[in-house]
Amino acid sequence: MSREEYQVPTGSGSATGGGGGGGSFNAPAARDYAGESGGTMYYMCGDCAVRVPLEKGAAIRCQKCGARVLYKERTKRMVQFEAR
Amino acid sequence: MPHKPPTKEELERRKIVGINEETITDVSSTDFPGHYPGEDHSWDIESFRRGFRIEFHQNDPFEASFSLIGVDASIANAFRRIMIADIPTLAIETVFINNNTSVIQDEVLSHRLGLIPFKGGHEGLHKFLKWWRKPTDEALVNNSYYDYNTVSLRLEVQCEHNDKAAAGETDPTKLYKHAHVYARDIEFCPVGRQDKYFSGADIIAPVNPDILIAKLRPGQEISLSMHMHKGVGSDHAKFSPVATASYRLMPVIKIERPILGRDAEKFARCFPRGVIGLEKVTKKEAAQKGSGYEGHDGELKAVVVDPMRDTVSRECLRHDEFKGKVKLGRRRDHFIYLVESTGQWESDAIFLEAVAHLKKRAADLEKQVINMVR
Amino acid sequence: MPRATARKEEPAEAGSDIVMDEAPTSHQPEGRDDMSVDQDDENDEAGDVEEDDAEEEEEEDVQRVRLLPGSTPTAASFEFLNEGHTLGNALRYIIMKNRDVEFCAYAIPHPSEAKMNVRIQTFEGTTAIQALEKGLQDLQELCDVVTDKFIDAREKFAASASS
Repeated sequence: MSREEYQVPTGSGSATGGGGGGGSFNAPAARDYAGESGGTMYYMCGDCAVRVPLEKGAAIRCQKCGARVLYKERTKRMVQFEAR
Repeated sequence: MPHKPPTKEELERRKIVGINEETITDVSSTDFPGHYPGEDHSWDIESFRRGFRIEFHQNDPFEASFSLIGVDASIANAFRRIMIADIPTLAIETVFINNNTSVIQDEVLSHRLGLIPFKGGHEGLHKFLKWWRKPTDEALVNNSYYDYNTVSLRLEVQCEHNDKAAAGETDPTKLYKHAHVYARDIEFCPVGRQDKYFSGADIIAPVNPDILIAKLRPGQEISLSMHMHKGVGSDHAKFSPVATASYRLMPVIKIERPILGRDAEKFARCFPRGVIGLEKVTKKEAAQKGSGYEGHDGELKAVVVDPMRDTVSRECLRHDEFKGKVKLGRRRDHFIYLVESTGQWESDAIFLEAVAHLKKRAADLEKQVINMVR
Repeated sequence: MPRATARKEEPAEAGSDIVMDEAPTSHQPEGRDDMSVDQDDENDEAGDVEEDDAEEEEEEDVQRVRLLPGSTPTAASFEFLNEGHTLGNALRYIIMKNRDVEFCAYAIPHPSEAKMNVRIQTFEGTTAIQALEKGLQDLQELCDVVTDKFIDAREKFAASASS
């Protein structure tokens, strides 16, 4: 498996056990984004920093202040780094 | 011609590295067989034991200073190098970032986290924990983490407005909750047998809880977990158990002709405080012919009090009034070590570990050589 | 610099982020309830030891010392893998202290290769290999003396500091 396919280990997982003692290492449970998936994407307003939901094909515009500069949100995926 | 064994003075003289205004002399050791005709100098463990001495100057957990006297630079340097690069410590190696909306970039944050020194129960750190080796097969990486080779940590911080802040408050730490993320916010997540080794006072925690990791503003969040592994300083400096491990040679200051009166005061000012003292010339010295003290009874003379504190700045060699009166040098076989631990080991234990490490390396190679011959 | 990689997922619908919860769960061993290790601690311990032994043996198996071609019994060059100035210079010193050794020197031919070469030439009556073995033994004896004296000095210092 390449690093790109890395899965956060969780305690409930299953795999053929290797030798030795040890436990499972829980990366913190993924944050709950339930209800946010689907067709709606969220953006950050460049002016008022409010979270703007946009449907597919909707006008790119902040519903609150009308600014047309919207920023992408940070990825919700876990990102792995070497502490070097 | 029968060979005369060297006098005590001659043996002393051989140990001194000369320091002149612009040059140095007698840099290399000469205590090898064949260097002086008729003298042996071959390795003998008993004569080494007789000539070798260690003196402690300071022994604190974070700083130890001691002298190794009667050992060659190659050995002393091996100990120093091993302390820096070959003694294993536990440090953060991998960071799994779930969210980081702070202004500090993921890479920089990870790098900062890696450099934080941690402490924990010694038995657990040094005996229970083993190396983690990344499996060559990428598919097995996630099966390679066990309680005996990986320590798991968490850092979860969210910054919020502080409703209780006074009106007109400008200090971000009072205006917001968790405006500063410190090393003490890192949480240890014991797994398996780690509970047994790292609980209570032995818990894995940052040595310095007040290390600032990041600054946040309301709405920003850092949420990540970390894996720590054992490593050595030759791989990355974060694994080095010491902040510094260094030695210097013992300075030698020899006043060859008396330095008196105002000159003595000026001479003392050429050195760091405490190196040179001022004493009165005694009647006896003044009465002694050829001593250079004749007729100076009661005047101040410069005497060497504590050469170890000297920095060997050579300032005294720049002044004409001291020309020919003083000789500077260093003792080639007197190493003043300064070991500053980062906190995972005791400073003195690092040195002992370095000696044990060198011994093990030599023993391993001996086996290898025997194996090579076979 | 650190490297970052966002995970690539199985082809997902455009525009929809894969949520972590949907990701397949762990690859960690299941079933061995390692959180309560105490009862089968020994077994685990045994497992560890076995594994470690295997690892160490693997390391031991690699021959790290090699006699370089062109060597004669009394004049030989050795190549050490994964050694540097730390051991090289110490070993050179202790071998030079041997009165049967005519010449000893070490070199690191190239800084980006983890190799260290030692050249030993001896007088008649001993061999370069014997001189190397004696050097390694002397080095171990030296370390014992240093350890003993260090512990003594530390105790003496602790006693003088407390009194």
